[in-house]
Amino acid sequence: MARAWKSATVLCWDVGHTMSNSPLGEETPFDQAKKVVLMFVQRQVFAESKDETALVLFGTDGTSNPLAKSDQYQKITVQRNLKIPDFDLLEDVQSGIKASNHQADFLDALVVCMDLLQKQTLGKKYEKLHIAVFTDLNSPFSSDQLDVIIDNMKKAGISLQFFMPFPLDATSTRNGADAAERPLNIAPGKGLTAQQREGVTMVRRVMLSLDEEGGLDEVFTFRESVERLSIFKKIEKKPMAWPSQLTIGSRISINIVGYKAMTEEKAKKSWMSVDAKTLRKEDVRREMVYCLNDDNETEVTKEETIQGFRYGSDIIPFSQVDQEQMKYKTDGKCFSVLGFTKSAQILRHYYVGRQVLKVFAAKDDEYAAVALSALIHSLEELDMVAIVRYVYDRRSNPQVGVALPVIKEKYECLAYIQLPFMEDLRHFTFTSLKNNKKGAASEEQLSAVDALIDSMNLVVDDEEEMEDLFKVNKVPNPHFQRLFQCLQYKAFQPDEPLPPIDPHLKTMLDRPQEMAASCQASLEQLKKVFTLQDSGKKKEQKIAQQIFKDNDAEELDAKRAQFDEVFNIVTLAEGNVTAVGSLDPVKDFRILVHQKNFNFREGSD
Amino acid sequence: MADWHSHYQNEDEEDQEEAEENEADSKNAGRDSLIFLIDASEAMFEVNSEDLSAFDMTIQCVRSVYTSKIISSHRDLLAVVFFGTEKHKNSVDFKHVYVLHDLDTPGAKRVLELDQFQGEKGYKTFKENLGHSTDGSLGEALWTCSNLFSDVRLKMSHKRIMLFSNDDDPHAKDSSKARTARTKASDLRETGIILDLMHLRKPGGFDISLFYRDIVSVAEDEDTAVQVEESARLDDLLRKVRAKDHKKRALARLNLKLGEGLEVSVGVYNLIRSATRPSAVRLYRETNEPVKSKTRWFNGETGSLLLPSDTKKAQVYGHRQIVLEKDETEELKRFDHPGLVLIGFKPLFLLKKHHYIRSSQFIYPEESVISGSTTLFSALLTKCLERKVYAVCRYTPRRNTPPRFVALLPQEEQLDDQNVQTIPPGFHLIYLPYADDIRKVNCTGRAVANQDQIEKMKSVVQKLRFIYRPESFENPVIQRHFRNLEALALDLKEPEPMEDLTFLESPTSGSIFSTSTLEHCSCGIFSGEGCMHCV
Repeated sequence: MARAWKSATVLCWDVGHTMSNSPLGEETPFDQAKKVVLMFVQRQVFAESKDETALVLFGTDGTSNPLAKSDQYQKITVQRNLKIPDFDLLEDVQSGIKASNHQADFLDALVVCMDLLQKQTLGKKYEKLHIAVFTDLNSPFSSDQLDVIIDNMKKAGISLQFFMPFPLDATSTRNGADAAERPLNIAPGKGLTAQQREGVTMVRRVMLSLDEEGGLDEVFTFRESVERLSIFKKIEKKPMAWPSQLTIGSRISINIVGYKAMTEEKAKKSWMSVDAKTLRKEDVRREMVYCLNDDNETEVTKEETIQGFRYGSDIIPFSQVDQEQMKYKTDGKCFSVLGFTKSAQILRHYYVGRQVLKVFAAKDDEYAAVALSALIHSLEELDMVAIVRYVYDRRSNPQVGVALPVIKEKYECLAYIQLPFMEDLRHFTFTSLKNNKKGAASEEQLSAVDALIDSMNLVVDDEEEMEDLFKVNKVPNPHFQRLFQCLQYKAFQPDEPLPPIDPHLKTMLDRPQEMAASCQASLEQLKKVFTLQDSGKKKEQKIAQQIFKDNDAEELDAKRAQFDEVFNIVTLAEGNVTAVGSLDPVKDFRILVHQKNFNFREGSD
Repeated sequence: MADWHSHYQNEDEEDQEEAEENEADSKNAGRDSLIFLIDASEAMFEVNSEDLSAFDMTIQCVRSVYTSKIISSHRDLLAVVFFGTEKHKNSVDFKHVYVLHDLDTPGAKRVLELDQFQGEKGYKTFKENLGHSTDGSLGEALWTCSNLFSDVRLKMSHKRIMLFSNDDDPHAKDSSKARTARTKASDLRETGIILDLMHLRKPGGFDISLFYRDIVSVAEDEDTAVQVEESARLDDLLRKVRAKDHKKRALARLNLKLGEGLEVSVGVYNLIRSATRPSAVRLYRETNEPVKSKTRWFNGETGSLLLPSDTKKAQVYGHRQIVLEKDETEELKRFDHPGLVLIGFKPLFLLKKHHYIRSSQFIYPEESVISGSTTLFSALLTKCLERKVYAVCRYTPRRNTPPRFVALLPQEEQLDDQNVQTIPPGFHLIYLPYADDIRKVNCTGRAVANQDQIEKMKSVVQKLRFIYRPESFENPVIQRHFRNLEALALDLKEPEPMEDLTFLESPTSGSIFSTSTLEHCSCGIFSGEGCMHCV
């Protein structure tokens, strides 16, 4: 199902000589581009993506492409045809490809990429055709064919992205002032050459004619693409559709389709054990045996065992057949409204489960679209939500959840999230912080916290627009990047220890730099007005128990209790027994004797 | 278990993982133990206007705790002791104290034994078998309870007695008995046993100051400023009992780092965690005793056992196998020490309601690790609430766990009309998705309903309004499972019938609304060709 959808991407990488230029101490545009390309290829290799990728270099010393004629399409090389990325490509990007002493026309390179996409995707189905250009725009180009290029891109449905060392608006007059003020590490527009300015104008023109509204959003700096995954999100899989009916009572039924829209993405592969010497997994076998709980740990076969379940202190034999027959059964797919409630009644921390389901009207169903839209808008206007019984299919368990209206510029839908059952709730009581002797904060302390919140505001609001300095949902999961980095490193250097974490990965996870400095004063003030003292009690006591963890801790409990009764009593009551009471005087006495620092005179009073 | 694994495989494996973590935690911590000490004097059996005696209410409440413990924490120890009975049964032969259940894990038989005391028939049974007396001594009853605790050979982490009574001055005429009771109560306190009073409705009102003020415990971390009211209804009593019955146990104690050299310590709690049907236990066919399972690793060729150091870890990509040391597979997940690192603050409205990946946790200050934590924590909470902001933090829950970003959502304390805390003060820890966790969904074409259609739908919505409470839905899968087990355990012909509250059509769940309300509003909701679904 999902397998048919793959995409074809051409990485179009400028390796011309200007790419090696950079102000002293800074990474060259070539190295920056390499980092993005490498991360992209790493993700594809280690996520075992079926997407195909080609690599076209321009500004190469030689020329090797199907369009090349004596004076046309020179210094452009098809480094790799369209296929699934592999270790060869990784290795090539990592250490094979070098910056050259030449340069080439980036529009020409674009034509080579389009030609490649057209020819090499022939007869196969792709969900998406895509070209990503990495360049500093510092080489001359000719715009003769511009209209043809744009026309063909549109016809073939090819999407385009640009990645550059500087932001697109660095040169524009409108944003000129803003750009200068921006605290981000972006080369200021003034540093651009005349050639680059011309290139920027051309990129704007191309992108705007491809997509008037969002075209410019597809131009990135190298830096932001390394940190913000922009390129990678463009080529992702289509989620599986869940067609069903939303029902309200027995009369209203709306054809819907649901998609898993948010879920914690995991690394695709798990680790397998291999023999340390032969490195073969066949040499490592696993065997599970059952044994009785007696002194000899007598082994029994699986056939000699039956299945049971705990019912409190009882264990009830309950065969799989019986279980199957008696268990709760559902009638299959279900998305039925149980009722509606004020949205304020659904507290954020009620959410359970592991996903968000987005629910749309079924495709090409006019009635469904109107009915669902009416429902979404009436919920929105009434500030209410639907409580829904959801069953994925016949074999799965029913859930109760909330369906919230989501209305965006481009679409509207219901977002479904599971809610807890009664059995899931835990009623913990905590001391009120309001009238707490330990807790009461003074006015001075409160205003210090106020100042902290001011100095650590992540959202810049300048009347017109709100800028979020730390968009978590744009940050790629650092675990994957680290895993891929280590896998690649170990693939080529199996005997070396793991490489250190990339500094950019750490920066990505830290407080934005500009804020890190500005909040120092308020942090210092906090330190002054609050007294915090580490009692040194942070205990590592669990470690021993983790090491000697027994399969049956219960048994361990009992053993411990038998072996060392007195000791156990001491641990139980230590700190509490200070005198011999009337409840169990003998025991109290024994405990007191164990407390070496105890003063007998006091105890006998 | 095929059904369980098909579609939710990943999710389940993880739940397993988490369940184990949690399990390990509670195993190390020892057992929670709870004694229900129930006044059995005649006044307890007087039937009120709703045909329910205080004793009935108590038994129902205890039964509910028994069955919920069987489901959620079957390792906890429970006991039931009556005092003020004519007969007696206890290890030191105190008169008028009857130990129905000593401290043990709850099981089917015990639930049945409670059932025999329910209702009018139950009262007769009680009167015939146990009887009443006014000569009992509360002090001796407490002594009996303390003996029950000391008879247990397992490690106990939390010891509590809940005293159910509607008599606010049991030893009004006998000052020596009253004194013994006070002394015992104070002895209990000193050995770390908590004594709670579950006082029940009494004509003229229950006056705690007469006697019980000196008897009940004031635990250090519990609020006493709030005077909890007496319970007249079962619901209130249940809520009160439940609020006390869970010993809150921190999953972890961590530091919240605001900046360099500025840290407060907090405990992390799960206020909600999905209960799952428990996994099966293998039993030896001959004796029905549980068997242990052992996993062995050995060399396929030589058959010799492998030590952990004899293996490495590998993954294969394409045709290339990449090998790492076992430690390295852990090391690559290590970014930070466990803890929370403050990044900054954002206004509350930016926290999107439909951004969600896993259930939240809760943090509350932990004074014992860093003193002064409570003050700073509470100042932070006050200001976040006042300014309607949340804090963004980088969160590493355990060693060798990659970081996730969380929103610290400020939560103000909430009490119900009985002054029982329903939501504690602190921060909810809301997990935020990474870019990778958000999938791009192709939305289908949009047709927007007109205002007329929206208004009609609004009337449907208004008619089906109800007040949502998370307690109102039981998990039918788990309930059915335990009812099946109960039937097998007690040799019932068939399991106790179950209301499935997740069903609209279920005839018994019609409390919220009946299907008939829908009949008139659905017809013609979308006039013209739109309304093909209405007959």
